[in-house]
Amino acid sequence: MRLHSLTLRNFRGVAERTVQLPAIGTTVVVGDNEVGKSSLVEAFALVFDFPDDSKSKRIADVQPVGHDVAPEVTVELTLGGRELTYTKRWLKNRSTELSVVTPDGRRQTFTGREAHNEAERLFTENVDPVLWQTLMVSQGQSLILPTPADAEPLITAVTAESGTPVDGASMPLVSAVEHEFLRYWTPRGRPTGDFAKSAQAVTAAELRSAQAAKAMEEVVADIRRAERLALDLEDLSSRLAEHLKSVEELRVRKKETDEILLRRDSVRARAETARARLENHTRTRLERERLLTELERFTTAAGELAELRTEAEKVAKASTDTLHAAEAALAEVVELKDDRRGDVQHAEQRVSELMDRAELDRLTGQQAELADVRARIAAASRVLDGIKVTDALVAELEDSRARVVEARAALAAGVPDVLVRRLGAEEVSLTGTGLDAHGVEVPPQLAEGAELSMLVSGELHIGVPGQLEVTVRAGGDAASLRSLVDEAVRRETDLLKRAKVRDLQAARELLRKSDTASAELQEARRTERSLTAGGDPGERIALLAARLGVFGDEPAEDEDETPKGKQQPAVENVPGQMSLFEEFAEDTFDFEDLVMPEPLAPDDLAGAQRALEDARTELATAERLLADAEFAAAQARKAADEDRSEAQQARARAELAAERVAAATASLEAARAVLADEDVDAAEEQATGEVEAVLEEYTAVQEQVDAAGADHVEGELADALAVAGRLQGERDTLRDSLRTTEGRLEQSGRDGLATRQDTAGVELAAVRAEHENLQRRAEAARRVHETLGRHRAAAQTKYSEPLQSRIEALGRSVYGPTFRVWLDDDLAVAERELDGNRLRIESLSTGAQEQLAIITRLAISHLVSTTENSVPVIFDDALGWSDKARLRDMGTLLGRAGDHGQVIILTCMPDRYEYVPRATFIKLQ
Amino acid sequence: MDESITFLHSSDWQLGMMRRFLGPDGQARWGQARLDAVARIGEVAERTGARFLVVTGDVFEHNQVERQTILRACEALKRIPVPVVLLPGNHDALEPGSLWTSAQWAAHKPDHVRVVTDERPFEVVPGVEIVGAPWRSRRPVSDPAAPGYAGLEPVAQSAKSRATSSSTGGAKGSGTGGAKGAQPAVRRILLAHGQLTSLSGGMSDVPTIDQAALEAAVEDGRLQYVGLGDRHSMTEVTERIWFSGTQEVTAPEETHPGNVLAVTLTGDAITVEPQRVGAWHMVEHHAELDGEESLKALEDWFAELPDKERTYVRLAADGSLPLPLMSRLDATLDALGEVFASVEKWPKFWTVRPAPEAADLDALQLSGPARAAMEELRQALAGGDEAAGAALTLMHRLARDAG
Repeated sequence: MRLHSLTLRNFRGVAERTVQLPAIGTTVVVGDNEVGKSSLVEAFALVFDFPDDSKSKRIADVQPVGHDVAPEVTVELTLGGRELTYTKRWLKNRSTELSVVTPDGRRQTFTGREAHNEAERLFTENVDPVLWQTLMVSQGQSLILPTPADAEPLITAVTAESGTPVDGASMPLVSAVEHEFLRYWTPRGRPTGDFAKSAQAVTAAELRSAQAAKAMEEVVADIRRAERLALDLEDLSSRLAEHLKSVEELRVRKKETDEILLRRDSVRARAETARARLENHTRTRLERERLLTELERFTTAAGELAELRTEAEKVAKASTDTLHAAEAALAEVVELKDDRRGDVQHAEQRVSELMDRAELDRLTGQQAELADVRARIAAASRVLDGIKVTDALVAELEDSRARVVEARAALAAGVPDVLVRRLGAEEVSLTGTGLDAHGVEVPPQLAEGAELSMLVSGELHIGVPGQLEVTVRAGGDAASLRSLVDEAVRRETDLLKRAKVRDLQAARELLRKSDTASAELQEARRTERSLTAGGDPGERIALLAARLGVFGDEPAEDEDETPKGKQQPAVENVPGQMSLFEEFAEDTFDFEDLVMPEPLAPDDLAGAQRALEDARTELATAERLLADAEFAAAQARKAADEDRSEAQQARARAELAAERVAAATASLEAARAVLADEDVDAAEEQATGEVEAVLEEYTAVQEQVDAAGADHVEGELADALAVAGRLQGERDTLRDSLRTTEGRLEQSGRDGLATRQDTAGVELAAVRAEHENLQRRAEAARRVHETLGRHRAAAQTKYSEPLQSRIEALGRSVYGPTFRVWLDDDLAVAERELDGNRLRIESLSTGAQEQLAIITRLAISHLVSTTENSVPVIFDDALGWSDKARLRDMGTLLGRAGDHGQVIILTCMPDRYEYVPRATFIKLQ
Repeated sequence: MDESITFLHSSDWQLGMMRRFLGPDGQARWGQARLDAVARIGEVAERTGARFLVVTGDVFEHNQVERQTILRACEALKRIPVPVVLLPGNHDALEPGSLWTSAQWAAHKPDHVRVVTDERPFEVVPGVEIVGAPWRSRRPVSDPAAPGYAGLEPVAQSAKSRATSSSTGGAKGSGTGGAKGAQPAVRRILLAHGQLTSLSGGMSDVPTIDQAALEAAVEDGRLQYVGLGDRHSMTEVTERIWFSGTQEVTAPEETHPGNVLAVTLTGDAITVEPQRVGAWHMVEHHAELDGEESLKALEDWFAELPDKERTYVRLAADGSLPLPLMSRLDATLDALGEVFASVEKWPKFWTVRPAPEAADLDALQLSGPARAAMEELRQALAGGDEAAGAALTLMHRLARDAG
């Protein structure tokens, strides 16, 4: 192809311009920027590429801005030997015209789309697009090194020049090999497509297979484990059974030994009982000894105290007697003096009374006996009804009795002892509170001649109405002493009530007499019947009592204390001291004559009558002695008071001692009632024998226990049970493990793990076979690809030699004789050597790269210039990076290039090309 | 006891078994075929009037087969109209986690099926006593059949003894036997599983069955028939000791697989007749390939095989073929693989080489680098480079197709 002229109308900034280009040689088209030199190249491309009715933006872009005009291009060129004139107008008044003059001079004209198609056909047939793109360097692309391997004209040229025939027939094979290779491999040689997928499938299947195999390995391991566990379990179960048998034997043995142990326990209990009984008997013996000792001690003490009491009472009684005698004497004197007749009558009456009293005494005795019998009946009946008394109660009673006695003694010692005797006919009234500690009721009246002796702990009023009133009042301590007595009595009474007995002795008796109560009752009833045979004595007693003016029994003490005869002063009790009364009596008073009548028996009527007479006789004498008697009586009273106090105290002590003796005696008696003294030791001895016997029995049983090892059987059984428990625990653990393993196996059976493994194996084998098949094919494809590629590369090296030598020839004119280049498979310059220095193109300077790109293009142009397929070399603004020296060399080169073809240079810098020889310069305005 | 009794003996069903060489599709069809063969045993039972069926071990391939296999096996068993006695073998031993003790089996087992779980004799039908030696582990420590007949006394003799034997004739293994011609009152059958030393060639890694002891037990009248399993090939050990072989072939090496034995005991005589129930074939073939004729012969051999879709071929070949024939062989085998259940080149015995001839290469009209590349491969092959053969074959095909 040769370009001859190019005309632009209404094209960008150009209204109309035509550039004529020489067919051979180098043309430098010079124009400032924006004058349209680049539009020339653009216009050439547009006129072939776009039909006149194109709506392309590229067409719209070339219409001058603000002018509604039609862009138009006319190009004249030679193409495949034909002369073409090709005009195209776009946008407005669109038209396409093509005039073709063939080499033989025939002209053809085409218009419209036909013209466009024909021009396109001619261009495609005659211009290799790769070569055209390689040699037409647009603005700013001058640095890009051409890769012209696919440019057919170049291949043709180099093949022709190198002498290697073009392997045209191999090209479909090359494609097929390439295609086959790319079925399995990427261009860089990595597996791809089905081959890569099959490899992945193999990996995945291997993984699945391995997982399935692992699962099955676990199953097999579980089977082995379960087999082992089953064996272990069997072994353990039999051991356990053996052991349980021995446990059972121990249980039987324990049952047997339990009986022995039970027997031992029984004997041991009996031994303890016997030992306790022995202790009890020993205690009884000791208590008996203590009681005896105590009784002896108490009795001795009581004896001593009784002697002291007797002596004190003797003294007191003597002094009292003295007093009584004195007072009696005094009273007698007064009485005799005041009323002798009365005395006589009294004596007469006394005679009568004595007669009645004798009868009364007999009846009273009979009645008392009857009452006693009845009381015994009642008591025996009560005993028979039920005995409430206990040892403790008796002890309490004894204690309370002792307290009562003590309290009374204390009271008696601390309060006045009053003796009231009515002498005359004058009424004597008695009232008072807190009187006798012995509980004697105070009669409101005192009968004539009667006397009352009492201890006063509160107040006693003795009155003779209209004449006098005497108040006897106890001291400050009396009230409290009295209250102690009361309290003691009350307590005793309460206890007696509880015991349902009258007194302590009764209580004691109750215990003793209960056995004989029935006999007593029988005997008492016989006595009662005999006593009541002559009628009830009560009626006659009432009659006689009414006549005598007395009621009930008089206190025995009164009678006892009544002087029975001449009282001797107790001088011997007070050695060296004589009472006043004794002095009086000795000096002035003849008791035998004056004071008292002879003691009278109840039936001594004659005596009473004689006394009557004597009383009358002695009256006168008594008056005479009255004054002395009164004095002596006062003295005697004083001494008597002192002695009585002493005696009271002695009596109290003696009573207390007696109570103690009684209590001790009672205790002893009570104890003896239970066990006689002579039996105490025997009982202890017997108990000792029993203890020894039972201990002997115990020893025998213990020997049996030891022989049977009974004491250890329980421990052995416990140990055996513990071992059994442990074995059972182990067995349960094993059983659980076995169950767990069997459960896992059951599950793996349900999961069909073996089938899974086999399936995975089948799948793996299948994909592996597929992969191996593909691999064989892939390897074959690679082998072919590699082998063919290698041979093709070798051939290509040969092709590149003509281009390489052209480049080096051109380059040496610029760089000198050391310049060399190496081309790659695409026939692009890969390396440059200069002065022995070999560098990759990328390492070169920008200027050197541009120069090498220009040299390569000129070399290609040179190679293809001889063929019909040659095309112009067009540079749009090149050599921008070269210094002046290089510009000179490059200019020379560009000039020479014009010798072989059409070289068109577009530039706004004409200086760069001033060294191009024989260049045609066209300056655009 | 004059009346004869017939029963069926089968073994090594190994349901759930997989064969890698069949591929997933072939595997599925073959697996179904093995079940179908079991079902066909039912037809044989009806046809022969068999009173019961014994299966001497390896009913299942494994104790851990998938549920589908168990359920389908139960369905197939339901189609057998007589009592069935199954013996656990080494593949489905009565070990922990055994299929036989699983809930799945218990839930679906047909009522007429009995599994031998101990060595106690039992009467399967009147007059027939069965003793069995089930495998309790995959690794027995002693003769796996011995526990089945240990301590047995000879069965009682019937009052009437037959001096002569009868033979139904015709079939392999028929004849007379038994202890001294006496007629037992009860027939006792031993079911056992394992290899006989004489047949295992000393290769068994587990204890084998003492054949002499077994024969003695038969000879002295303790056993009237011994059904053995484990060997997939139908094998007569003595006239009363048999391996039934598998009901459907599992490997090309097996002889007479795919049969069930119909055993008839008449008096003291015995007849054993194999009945075909299998439908598949597994074949080994060896081909010498040295030219078009030999290739054609191979192609014809394949063409004549029956039941192709139920046939597996393991192919061994050696020799060399010109490149065009090599391509044809590849294409042929490729196509056969689609028709047959499976056609497998036996890698160990596959030594067919391409033999590139100059004429073949010239015919491709290659020049330049292509011709040079092909020449290089040809020389490499000639130098013993096996991979070059495949590459050469490929390049030849590509060049031919591209041309």
